[in-house]
Amino acid sequence: MIIEHVLAAGGELFTLKTMALMVVGTLAGLLAGAIPGFTIAMAVVLTLPFTFGMEPLQGLATMIGVFVGGLSGGLMSGILTGIPGTPSSVATTFDGFPMARNGQPGLALGIGVWSSFFGGTVSAVLLVSLAPQLARIGLEFGPWDYFSLVLFALTITASLAGENLIKGLIAGALGVLIATVGEDEINGVARFNFGTDALKQGFAFLPVLIGLFAFSQLLSDIADKHRARQPLSDSGAEAVKIEHRKAAMAVLSRWVNLLRSSLIGVFTGILPAAGSSISNILAYDQAKKASRTPEIFGTGCEDGIVAPESANNATAGGSLITMMALGIPGDIVTAVMLGALLIHDVVPSPSFIGEQPVLAYGIFIAFFVANFIMLGLQSVTLRLFVLVTKVRMYVLASIILSYCAIGVFALHNVQFDMWTLFVFGIVGYVMRNLGFPLAPMILGVVLGKIAEVNLSRAVAISSDMTMFVQRPWSLFFLLLGVFSIFFPFYQKYRGIQLWTLIYPIAILIVLSGPLFMMGGIARSLIGAFMVLLGGYLIWSNTRNGWKLEGPVDAPVLREG
Amino acid sequence: MISLNRETIVAILLLLFCGVLFWATTQIRDPGFEQMGAEVWPRIVLVFLSVMSLIYLVQSLRSETADEDPGAASMSWLARDQNPIWCFVLFFGFLITMPYLGMLIGGTLFVFLMMSVLGGWSPRLMLAHAAIALVSVGAMWSIFTFGLRVILPEGELIRIF
Repeated sequence: MIIEHVLAAGGELFTLKTMALMVVGTLAGLLAGAIPGFTIAMAVVLTLPFTFGMEPLQGLATMIGVFVGGLSGGLMSGILTGIPGTPSSVATTFDGFPMARNGQPGLALGIGVWSSFFGGTVSAVLLVSLAPQLARIGLEFGPWDYFSLVLFALTITASLAGENLIKGLIAGALGVLIATVGEDEINGVARFNFGTDALKQGFAFLPVLIGLFAFSQLLSDIADKHRARQPLSDSGAEAVKIEHRKAAMAVLSRWVNLLRSSLIGVFTGILPAAGSSISNILAYDQAKKASRTPEIFGTGCEDGIVAPESANNATAGGSLITMMALGIPGDIVTAVMLGALLIHDVVPSPSFIGEQPVLAYGIFIAFFVANFIMLGLQSVTLRLFVLVTKVRMYVLASIILSYCAIGVFALHNVQFDMWTLFVFGIVGYVMRNLGFPLAPMILGVVLGKIAEVNLSRAVAISSDMTMFVQRPWSLFFLLLGVFSIFFPFYQKYRGIQLWTLIYPIAILIVLSGPLFMMGGIARSLIGAFMVLLGGYLIWSNTRNGWKLEGPVDAPVLREG
Repeated sequence: MISLNRETIVAILLLLFCGVLFWATTQIRDPGFEQMGAEVWPRIVLVFLSVMSLIYLVQSLRSETADEDPGAASMSWLARDQNPIWCFVLFFGFLITMPYLGMLIGGTLFVFLMMSVLGGWSPRLMLAHAAIALVSVGAMWSIFTFGLRVILPEGELIRIF
């Protein structure tokens, strides 16, 4: 059955036109990812209008090319100039840049490229095998469970704002509020339109997202008068020959690090609202902790490039798993991808893979193929990247702003969308400057409607509000949400306050409850394992006299 | 005496915003047949937002901040954000003149003005900016109009000719 779907999807995907479009998309993504200040989300958004006239699979394959290319492009800028092209490659600069300065830029780039490729390939395999399984679990979800899942996604995004948890929660709530403007989906009653017809339809999602994120990002990039007139990079980056053979061998010889980092990437991607800006730092931190020679990290060691680059590409597969199986975007980029899918009349949900297998498997294969295209295009992009770094920031920002305006208009052919872009550009810029994280707000806009529709359905089915804690999945997500709120404090006080020793134990034991409630052998076994692990931690801490180890040098996790 | 810092002002504005929207929820029509009224969800979110804003307000009042001269602060804000403010003004002008100038002329003019405001007004630069604006917007306009068959706003000015 699966082979039939794969063959049918392959037949649609492997046409000359689609492959050419994927090559162009991946090239554009690589270039966009390489330019500091130009994010993957912006690249995907700008590509979207070009895909309107294409077949759904062609359009989506092109955008997946941009997505995969963007994730890998950031390493060029990070390694050659020390400035990460995207937040996904921040940790790559820790060792990539020193290695390049030590006279091995070709090897550093090669390790980055091959790590990205292997990371992407691992996650592609997991995408094909895990997405249908997760979708099967998703079919068990009722409206109560979906509502709680959205709440969890919002709390975890807000908690990634670190010490600004309150600001993160405010931003998330504002996003949800934006989604309530216009006619509600259940009753068709207009809300917050203040008598204007234009607001009756509400704000279209993509203009809001582009305004909040891309518009405000561009303005932040040119806010400094001096910096705006400088070339994108004045460090004199030069095209170098990538040492593919040596690099591939170096990466494969570090297969444990590669596999661990890829799995960290996939898992981070699967979590709603956690993206590659987090996974690359997490993987780097774990690689350093697991290394026998942690002191060489930061001086240009191979493991320091393998970990973040394999993790950030693997995150893409992970976030696609959640988006396609549950319809919940993993981060800002997948939120844009979700918007793109909806424009092509593709609605991701647990039943999507079963109902539209050719399209779903086409997306899986496109993701797999994009990694190969990315590998082949790196050398070409490197030369283009060196040319683009000579462009001044204000020139690029002016052109991109006009392209954003044209692209936004083309979405629905209405000028109101351009005003939406403008207004939310101001809102995004002001919020950035006031220290409010934008990721919770953007996800709030995307998830707000899903939350409301499911709450309404839940109330329509039963007025019993205890259903939210009676249903195992709903309870599971609500508990996860509560723990995620305490996560930033756990990070801050780990090793300093006693409760941080109890926190992981509490997570294990408390979350095992809903797993037992679900029944079935596998879930009960997982629950039992979690209880045993919690018990072991209690025993281990008791043996050590619940001794605190002092401040722990934890990686700083922030939205990107 | 409690001096208002930036965070406090933002928190107060957020609370006022919540108040206005809460009032607006009372204006939402009640069709009378629904299980969950259209105003319920916005109210839940607004209550949550108000509580968070209140906590934010308390946090801001408790935080130690250096005394700021509001006049000097707003002047430094204006000086620091001069470029973004120019961008907003130019983009606003671009949108407001769209029905008259259309996407091609308006877009080219917007890109040219924005580059010149941010990059400088020397004759050599202006020539370069004009060329870049014409080529970049012209190329994109052509792709959308002829390649993707998207009808971009034409503008009254072009219709006259």
